[in-house]
Amino acid sequence: MTMWPVFGGLGIIALGGVLAVAGRRAAWGERALTWCVWLGGFTAALPAVQVLVTGETLEWRTAVNLPGGDWVFGLDPLSSVFLLAILVVSAAATPYGVTYLARERGHLGVWFSHAALVALIIALGLVVMARAVVPFLGAWEIMAITSYLLIVTEHDRTEVRRAGLLYLVVTHAGTLALFVMFAIWSGAGNDWTFKALAAATPHLSHGTSLIFALATFGFGLKAGAVPGHFWLPPAHAAAPSHVSAMMSGVVIKTGIYGLLRVVMLAGGAPAWWGWTVLAMGAASAVLGVLWALAQHDIKRLLAYHSVENIGIILLGIATGALGSTYGHPALAVLGYAAAAMHTFNHALFKSVLFFGAGAVSHATGTRNLEEMGGLAKQMPLLALTFVVGAAAIIGVPPLNGFVSEWLVFQGLWGAGIAGGAVRVAVLAVPLLALSGGLALACFAKVVGVVFLGTPRSDRTRGVGEAPAGLLAPTAALAAACAVLGLLPALVLPALLRVGAQVASQPAGASAVTLVDVVRDAGRVSLFAAFIVMMLGVAWGARALVLRRRVVRRAPTWTCGYELITPRMQYTASSFATPLLDIFSRLTGVQTYRGATLLHTVSRDPVLDGTLAPLWTKGRDWALRLRAIQHGRLRFYLLYVVVALLFVLAYVVLWPV
Amino acid sequence: MQTSADLLLLLIALTELVVLGVSRLSTCIRAIAWQGLFLGLLPIALSGWGSAHVFFLAGGTIVVKAVVLPRLLRWAMREAKVRREVEPLIGYLGSLLLGVLALGVAFAVAQRLPAVESNDLLIPVALASVMIGLVVLITRAKAISQVVGYLILENGVFLFGLTQTSRVPFLIEIGVLLDVFVGAFIMGIVVFHINREFDSISSAQLTELRES
Amino acid sequence: MNTPLLSLALVLVMAPLLPGLAFRTRALLTGRRGAPAWQLYADLWKLARRGAVYSTTTTWIFRFAPVAVFATTVAAALLVPLDGRNAVLRFGGDAVAFASVLALGRFALVLGALDTGSSFEGMGASRDVTFASIVEFGLLLTFSALAVATGELSLTGMFGAPLAEHAGALTAPLTLLALGLFALMLAECARIPVDDPATHLELTMVHEVMVLDHGGPDLAFILYANALKFALFSTLVFGLVVPRARWSAPASAAGLAAGLLASAVAVGVVESLTARLRMAKVPLYVFGSAALGGVALILLLR
Repeated sequence: MTMWPVFGGLGIIALGGVLAVAGRRAAWGERALTWCVWLGGFTAALPAVQVLVTGETLEWRTAVNLPGGDWVFGLDPLSSVFLLAILVVSAAATPYGVTYLARERGHLGVWFSHAALVALIIALGLVVMARAVVPFLGAWEIMAITSYLLIVTEHDRTEVRRAGLLYLVVTHAGTLALFVMFAIWSGAGNDWTFKALAAATPHLSHGTSLIFALATFGFGLKAGAVPGHFWLPPAHAAAPSHVSAMMSGVVIKTGIYGLLRVVMLAGGAPAWWGWTVLAMGAASAVLGVLWALAQHDIKRLLAYHSVENIGIILLGIATGALGSTYGHPALAVLGYAAAAMHTFNHALFKSVLFFGAGAVSHATGTRNLEEMGGLAKQMPLLALTFVVGAAAIIGVPPLNGFVSEWLVFQGLWGAGIAGGAVRVAVLAVPLLALSGGLALACFAKVVGVVFLGTPRSDRTRGVGEAPAGLLAPTAALAAACAVLGLLPALVLPALLRVGAQVASQPAGASAVTLVDVVRDAGRVSLFAAFIVMMLGVAWGARALVLRRRVVRRAPTWTCGYELITPRMQYTASSFATPLLDIFSRLTGVQTYRGATLLHTVSRDPVLDGTLAPLWTKGRDWALRLRAIQHGRLRFYLLYVVVALLFVLAYVVLWPV
Repeated sequence: MQTSADLLLLLIALTELVVLGVSRLSTCIRAIAWQGLFLGLLPIALSGWGSAHVFFLAGGTIVVKAVVLPRLLRWAMREAKVRREVEPLIGYLGSLLLGVLALGVAFAVAQRLPAVESNDLLIPVALASVMIGLVVLITRAKAISQVVGYLILENGVFLFGLTQTSRVPFLIEIGVLLDVFVGAFIMGIVVFHINREFDSISSAQLTELRES
Repeated sequence: MNTPLLSLALVLVMAPLLPGLAFRTRALLTGRRGAPAWQLYADLWKLARRGAVYSTTTTWIFRFAPVAVFATTVAAALLVPLDGRNAVLRFGGDAVAFASVLALGRFALVLGALDTGSSFEGMGASRDVTFASIVEFGLLLTFSALAVATGELSLTGMFGAPLAEHAGALTAPLTLLALGLFALMLAECARIPVDDPATHLELTMVHEVMVLDHGGPDLAFILYANALKFALFSTLVFGLVVPRARWSAPASAAGLAAGLLASAVAVGVVESLTARLRMAKVPLYVFGSAALGGVALILLLR
């Protein structure tokens, strides 16, 4: 197979964008967009699947008369798994977005948003397929700008514009680091293909440490790993929900892709990098979920969970890097495979959750958890899919989140039983478990406060089941979560191939692992099937027993107290407060205990606690410099002369 | 004998974690008393029912560290009528974490020190004791907790000394006697402090404030 | 003879005896007579024949919760090497599966509690997830230490033959791990000093208050699942104290029965000796238990 189906597929998607713009006044435009994304996605996915199954790599090269040399695009297992995630999430996000934005048609340029989404999808595809610096950075920049345009879809609100600006600043800071990284890496040569970079690696004058430092900054900022996560919650909350799903599911994953690609091209990472990524991963996993617990805005909460999951992915990458460094290739394969799998899984279930959250806020007109409640009775199907997504993200069997977390655990434990210094990596295991437990608490809070109990405000009055256009994409992705959870063996060999490729191991090396994960994946399926069967059996037994008994309905038992009101229910704040109190030093949460109400306010320790004060202080210093800008021309001339003297002195004292 | 020495050393480490984790002073004192007992048994376990020197050392240690000093502390606690530590500088959870961390660091560091003793837990636990003692001294506010912290530190030094028992037994015995002196000295200071504090906030004086 | 399955059957049958025995021990030690040890069997039988009352606030989640708690606990039982050698199902990293499947049950139970809209049940749910998340930390810390000690990634390896091989050389860390796991069991299975299963004041409850609205067969499922979880953790602790990998099959089965009873009695003794902790102190207790595992892990990584 060649690369052409991929380009063709992206072309069809682009056509969909054109049709959506052309038919913006009619209904057919948006329908055409959806169909084109599906058709194009399907076409483009075919070679990706084939690459994952067979392990062969595709490449397409064109000579371009521009600085930077040839443009090369390619598809190897690593690109394919990211491309598939992009296409799957896009295929669900597009129809969802059409329904989601439908009622905004009156006052917003909805067609513009659709076109930007199409551009984002194509840019994402090109980012993961680029095999040369110039097309990579070009696609990267288009991706950054289109996601900015999508974030500010509802630009009539101040906080949306602020979030967009923050995103724009941060993403360009990251891109700048990438420019520097590629410039150092390629050196003086004129061939800027990735292959040339890989060939230049052994000749780097300072080793690969500087490259990895810059890559960690640039890609880590994009991925939203602590402490570079601070742009992510406001941006995800401001964007329309299908865009949040795209951002959280695939856009931030390009940071992960970048890290893996750099590791691969550099042929392994230095030891310090493995440990740094391990620490970043553990910190992101625990802090992300702790900060999530403190949120009341459902989309901010989900955004912080992306930080947590990026942490889990980073733990996988760290296992891989440490495995390579300390001479355990099997561990390296396993760690990278786990990272790749969690990347894909997270794209699925986080999209389910953002879609679900979007449907809820679409119906109630609020994202504030404290104003919801009891929605499971009004939107039963949406509640079901959201619960499935929540169970997937907290990593319990029989869903896909469990499978990838199981792989990460296996990797870390594998490090623990290997010899030498790499054993210390096992200390991340309990932290990962803690983050799992906290995630359970967090999603118990979200599901409980949004869907269960009694309504906490009038917002939920008259809300009905989510429209099919919102529900169907959500349910389809939730079903995918269940399938991958029940049958991980379907995808595991392909992911091990990805791991082997990143670890620069021959394809056969994936079979030689410390732990036979392929065999064990079958047993995980068996276990998952047993759970499902047991659930069925117990449910059936219960139904059978109760059929002959009296089943009544009555109000909730109030422990003898008569005047129970919905206001007495546990709120999102009160549910999370005991946990947040334990970790009070890390959460940055302020708790207000009134006579009748407990209220918590969360501040991001990095953004509000560190960067914002730094910025203010820096601006104050800068303002003092304004004294020298007073408008008198002769003094300006004096500045020029002084500057010139400085330059002359420099040249004289330190001759070149 | 090696196993029992290992267990004793671990128990010493655990009593230190208990001190870090509890707020009730009587529990702290009980923990430090147990620690004194384990510390006293340790020379016997290490040397395998060795010489009379060892038994003298053990007996002296137990009497001083497990009986006399805890009793003094309890007396001081009664005198001062304090029962709990006030909220320390670093919470109990944080202290506990620091304690485990200290243990980890001690093990990591001990590996790089030249080995002087057959028992490979001795040096790490000694190091950890010194660090944990310092943590208690720095973070706790009540004078009695501070004495407890000082004792932990002191026990750490004692453990270091044990690595030298076979070479300079007499020195160690002197060390034990020194403990008595230092203990009494510290208690003097503490009780003086408490008396001063106590006088100023005594209920007897508060009654003088009422209108008559 | 398939000893894992037989042991599983033994544990499934014996499980309801454990809470009763713990209560009985506690009653006898505190100078009361107490209910007979087999009280829970009678309770389960009584509940199974009753009808049910469902709150008008609740949805399918409330009805599903007891079923999920029961099913997940039974599924967790498959992974534990109950006969001291082999589990019914073993795979690398099944220790994670053990913790996660119990987490699924807890997730369902907590959602069921929140489904009632009762402030009391919300309180119980909040407390339960708070303590459980730290217990999970401690549990995986313990498993990690065992993985490092035995070089195995499955519960069967951690508690089975490889453990028995290494046990002689690892007295100190294994003692710590057993102590820590026992303390974690008290928290996970809602016993004193974390939770008092015999209390009658809703405000002081953790686990009991979450099931206030369940009745009939639903409550029976939950009570049975709790007893089974108690039995599973007891088996794990007992497996650390007395590795039975080299015992003959009948001896191992007898050992299992004796171990379960001993664990129940030990819990009863602890419950009669200690007081309930204040809620704010529980996290410290659980972290303290985990610290034992942490010290063991440091010893093993040395």
